Amino acid sequence: MNLPRPLRRLLPASVSASLLRLAAAFLGLFALALTLAPAVRQRSLLPLAELRWAHWLGVVVWVLALFWLDRRTREALPNRDPFIIPVAGLLAGWGLLTIWRLTFEFGLRQTAWLAVSCALFVLALRYRERILPLLRRYKYVWLLAGLLITALTFLFGTNPSGIGPDLWLGCCGLYFQPSELLKLLLIIYLAAYLADRQPLMTGLLPLLAPTAVMTGAVLLLLMVQRDLGTAWVFVFIYTILIYIAAGRRRVLLASALVLVLAMVAGYELVGLVHARIDSWLNPWVDPTNRSYQIVQALMAIAAGGMFGRGPGLGSPGFVPVAHSDFIYTSIVEESGLLGAIALLALVAFLVVRALRISLHARDAYQRYLAIGLAAYIASQSLLIIGGNIRMLPLTGVTLPFVSYGGSSMLISFFALLLLCLVSHDGVHRSAPVLNSRPTLIIAGLLLGAFALAAAITGWWGVVRGPDLLTRTDNARRGLSDRYVWRGALLDRDYQPLSRTGGSAGDYTREYVQTSLGNVLGYSHPQFGQSGLEDGLDPILRGEERQPAWGLWLNHILYGRPSPGLDVQLSLDLELTLHSMDALEGQRGAAVVMDAASGEVLALASQPGFSAASLSDDWQSLLASQDSPLLNRAVQGAYPPGGVLGPWLLAAARSQNTLPQAPAETAYVLNELALECTRPPLASDDWDALVEAACPGALAQLGLALGEKNLMDLYTQLGLYSAPDVPLRQPAFSAPASLPRPGEAATGQAGMLVSPLQLARVAATLSNGGQLPAAQLALAVKDASGEWQPYAEPAAAQPVLSSAAAFSQAQRLAAADAPIWEMSAYAFGTNGRRYAWYLAGSLSRGDQPARVIAVLLEDSSTPRAISIGRAILLTALGE
Amino acid sequence: MAELPAYILLGLRALMALALYGFLAWCFLTLWRELKQQAHNLARQRIPTLLVMPDRGPTGEQLRFATAEVTLGRHPSCEWVLADETVSSRHARLVFHHDHWWLEDLGSRNGTFLNGDALHAPVVLTSQDHIRCGQISFTLQIEALPQVSAQTQEQP
Repeated sequence: MNLPRPLRRLLPASVSASLLRLAAAFLGLFALALTLAPAVRQRSLLPLAELRWAHWLGVVVWVLALFWLDRRTREALPNRDPFIIPVAGLLAGWGLLTIWRLTFEFGLRQTAWLAVSCALFVLALRYRERILPLLRRYKYVWLLAGLLITALTFLFGTNPSGIGPDLWLGCCGLYFQPSELLKLLLIIYLAAYLADRQPLMTGLLPLLAPTAVMTGAVLLLLMVQRDLGTAWVFVFIYTILIYIAAGRRRVLLASALVLVLAMVAGYELVGLVHARIDSWLNPWVDPTNRSYQIVQALMAIAAGGMFGRGPGLGSPGFVPVAHSDFIYTSIVEESGLLGAIALLALVAFLVVRALRISLHARDAYQRYLAIGLAAYIASQSLLIIGGNIRMLPLTGVTLPFVSYGGSSMLISFFALLLLCLVSHDGVHRSAPVLNSRPTLIIAGLLLGAFALAAAITGWWGVVRGPDLLTRTDNARRGLSDRYVWRGALLDRDYQPLSRTGGSAGDYTREYVQTSLGNVLGYSHPQFGQSGLEDGLDPILRGEERQPAWGLWLNHILYGRPSPGLDVQLSLDLELTLHSMDALEGQRGAAVVMDAASGEVLALASQPGFSAASLSDDWQSLLASQDSPLLNRAVQGAYPPGGVLGPWLLAAARSQNTLPQAPAETAYVLNELALECTRPPLASDDWDALVEAACPGALAQLGLALGEKNLMDLYTQLGLYSAPDVPLRQPAFSAPASLPRPGEAATGQAGMLVSPLQLARVAATLSNGGQLPAAQLALAVKDASGEWQPYAEPAAAQPVLSSAAAFSQAQRLAAADAPIWEMSAYAFGTNGRRYAWYLAGSLSRGDQPARVIAVLLEDSSTPRAISIGRAILLTALGE
Repeated sequence: MAELPAYILLGLRALMALALYGFLAWCFLTLWRELKQQAHNLARQRIPTLLVMPDRGPTGEQLRFATAEVTLGRHPSCEWVLADETVSSRHARLVFHHDHWWLEDLGSRNGTFLNGDALHAPVVLTSQDHIRCGQISFTLQIEALPQVSAQTQEQP
C-alpha cells in the first residue's frame, strides 16, 4: 500500500510577504496622517517641530519585527497558513498606532511589548517540533501551574492603574496578568484531554466530568477575583470545544441556559454584575455615573459616523480607558463605520482561518487546539466589541492583538504561533473529519455575530449618530467651540452683546454685556448653552443657514461645523440696560415691545447673573433662592390676576353681553377672599371696577361671556401658546374646558402666563386690536457677509375691533402722560403675591407704538407702576 | 494655504481606506484563486478504472466503473444493482479518495467481506482483492493510470 501523496501547496509562498507590505503601506499612511493632524486641528501650516513624530518609532519597530517574524516563520514552517500572520500583524499595528495617538507613554510600552512578543515568537520557532507534544503531555501540570499563578494574585495582586480589581502580578513598572495565560492553558488542557478521550468516548458524561471540574475551578477562581469578562471567555471556549467533541447541539443550548441563569443570578446577588447589567439595559438613566463609559463610547462611535473624523482628529480620549477596553470605539471614532467593518472583517477572517486550520489539522489534539484558539480570539473580540457598542454587557477583556497590554499581546502572539504550528503540520496529512457540521455551525454563528456587531456599530454611528452628538454631555461640542468661530449676538443697532475672542484652538466666548446673563445666556464648555445662545445655537455654531457644500467640506476636512454666523437681535441695548437698572433690587421682569411689529425692544429679568464668571458662580447660582438663572420675562409663568380685566370687558362689550354691575366686588376662591387691587372709584361703573381689578366684577364678566367665549378670547390673545421666539419656554397649553368661567376670569384659577405673552396682549390696545407675533431675532449675516432676514414675520391677528381697542385704551388713559395703563395683583397658589403692570402708548399718528409688561414678585403695584412707567416713557422718548 | 494640511490628510485617508480594503480584497482574491486551483486540480484528477469480475455467472461479464463513488445494493438507485435476497438495499460502497479506492460497508444485514474478513471500517483496495456481499462475491481489478506530470500543477 503506497502512502498518500502529499497535497500540493496551492498558495504561493509570497502571499504573506505581499499582504504584509500592504499592511505596512496602510500603517505608513496612518502614521503620516497622525503626523499632519496637529496642523489640521490648528488650520494652519505649523513648523515641522510642532507636528507629531513620536509614533514613527512604533512604525519602524512594527516593520522590522513583523517582516523578520514572517521571514523566519516562512523558513521554519513553509506550509503554515500564509494569511494569519499578516492579518494579526495588521491588527497589532493598527492598535499600536491608535495607542500612540492616545497616550505617548502607553505607545512606547506597547511598542516594546510588540518587539518582545515577536522575539519570543521567533525564539520559539527553534523548538517547533517539540512545542505541541510537550504541551499535550503535561496538560495537567500546565493548567495547575496556571491556576496557581492566578491564585497568587490573591496574595500579591496589584493593579497598574491603581484602581479596579487586582488581577496583575509584578512590580517596578512590569506587570503580567496571569488570567490571560490561563486562557491558553485551559485550551491546551481541554484539547489534550478531549483528544485522549476520543477513542473511548461513549457519552457526554465521561467527556464532561473531569473537564467540568477543571473548568469549574478556573471559573470559581475568576468569579472570586471578579474578573467576569475572562470567566465569560472561558465558558465560551469550553462550550465550543465540548460541542465540537461531542457533536450534540444540546451542549450549545445547555450552555446558553447556564449563561442566562448565571446572568440572572449574578444580577440578583452580585453588586458589580447588577451595576453592569443595569448600565447595559438602561444607559441613559445614569449617564454621568455608572453608564458614563458606555454613553461616552456610543458618542465616540456617533462622532465617527460613516467615514470617521480622520487619524488624530477625533477625541477618543473622552472615553475612559480608551487604550484598552475601549480601543474599538477609539478606532471607530477616527476611521468611522468603514474602518469598523474592515476591523471586524479582519478579526472574522482570522477566526475563519483558524477554523479552517482545525479542519485540516493532523490529529484530534491539534484540531481541538485550533478550534479552541479560534474560540478564544472570536469570543474575546466579540465580548469587548459587543460591550463597546451595547450589544452585550460591558466586560473588561482586551481585544486580541489590538488592545494595549503586555500580557494580552504576548498571549495573542503565542496563540498565533500555535496556529502556525498546527497549520504547518496539517498540510501534509489531515485526519479524517468525522463530522464537519459542528465546525460549520460554529463558523456560521461567529460570522453572524461579527456581522451583527458591524450592523450595530452602523446603527449608533450613522442612524442614531446625529441625535447622540447633540447630547449636552458630549464634550466634543465644547472642544469644537474652541476651534470653530462662533457667531456674535448683536443688538438692533449692531452693537455686540456676546462675541467670540481669541484665536483658533483657543476661542472663548466674550460676554460684552455682562449684566444680561439670563437674557442672552451662555455658551460654556462645561455647562452647555442657555438663553439665546441656546435658542440660536445651530446658527451661531455654523450648523444651519450654511451653503450645503461648505457644511460638507468642513465636516469631511475637519469633522467640525462651518464658522458660525452673527445674529442681529431686535433688542435695543440702551433700553434693555435701562430696564435692568430699573428692576434692580427686585425679583421681576420687564418686556418692551413694538406694538405694531412685535419686535421685542427690551427684555429684562432680575436678579440676573454674569455669564463671564459662570465657572466661579455656578454652585451659588444653582443654590440661590432667587433663581438668577431664570429668565423671568420669558420662562416665568405667573397667574395673570385681574390685569386681563380690560380685555374681558372689551370682549363682553363687543358681544353686547355686559351684565349689571355686581353688588359684591370681592370673590371667594378656594376659601381665599380676593379683594380689589385698589378701591374702585365707583362701585356701579364697569370701567372703574375693571380698572381696580375687582375679582367679583371679573367673575361676573366671565359668567356673562361663558365658557366658550372666554376660551376663545384667551386663545386669540395667545395665552395658550408660547410666543415664537428662540428661547426655551414653559409648555403653555389650553385646558380641555373651563367649567367655571367665573372663577377662570379672576385669573387666579390655575392659568399661568409669561410677561412676554402679556406684552403681546398689551400690544393689541396700542395696535388697533391686532395681536402681533413676537420677534426677537431680526437678521442673520450669511456666509457671504450679507444680512438676511431671520424669518418672515407672521401676520398680526385681529382680536378686538379697532374702535373697541381705541375706546378701551382711552378708558385706561393716564392723566399725566400719553399712555394707557393697567395694574393688578395676582396671588399664586403658594401664597405669593405678584404685581402686574401693563401699559402702552396711545395712538398718536406717526409716533411708533410701544407697550410694556412688568411683573414683580412679592412687591406692590405702585412700585410696578413707577418702574414700568419710567421704562415706557424712556422707550417713547418722552 | 491654511487649508492645505486638511486636504493632504483627506487624501491620506482615502489612500488608507484603499490600502485597508486592498488588503482585505487581496486576502479574498488569493483565497478565490486557491479555490479555483483546487477545483481545477480535483477536476484534473483521474480515477483509475475499476474492473469487477463476478465469481459466479457467465465469465466475461465484466463491469467497468470510472466514477469516484459506486454504491452496491438491491435498490434500483444504486450504481451497481445486485438482485439477490442476501444483499441489502444499500449494501456497500466503493469510493475513490486520497488516491485510492476504498471499500466501506453501509450497515448491511449480512455484512461485507474483503478476502474473507468482515469489514468494520473503510479499507483501501488493491487489484485482485476478493469481495463478498451476502452470497454474491467478485474479484476486483484496478487499471493503472498514465502518470500525470506534477510539474504542470506547481505554482511559482
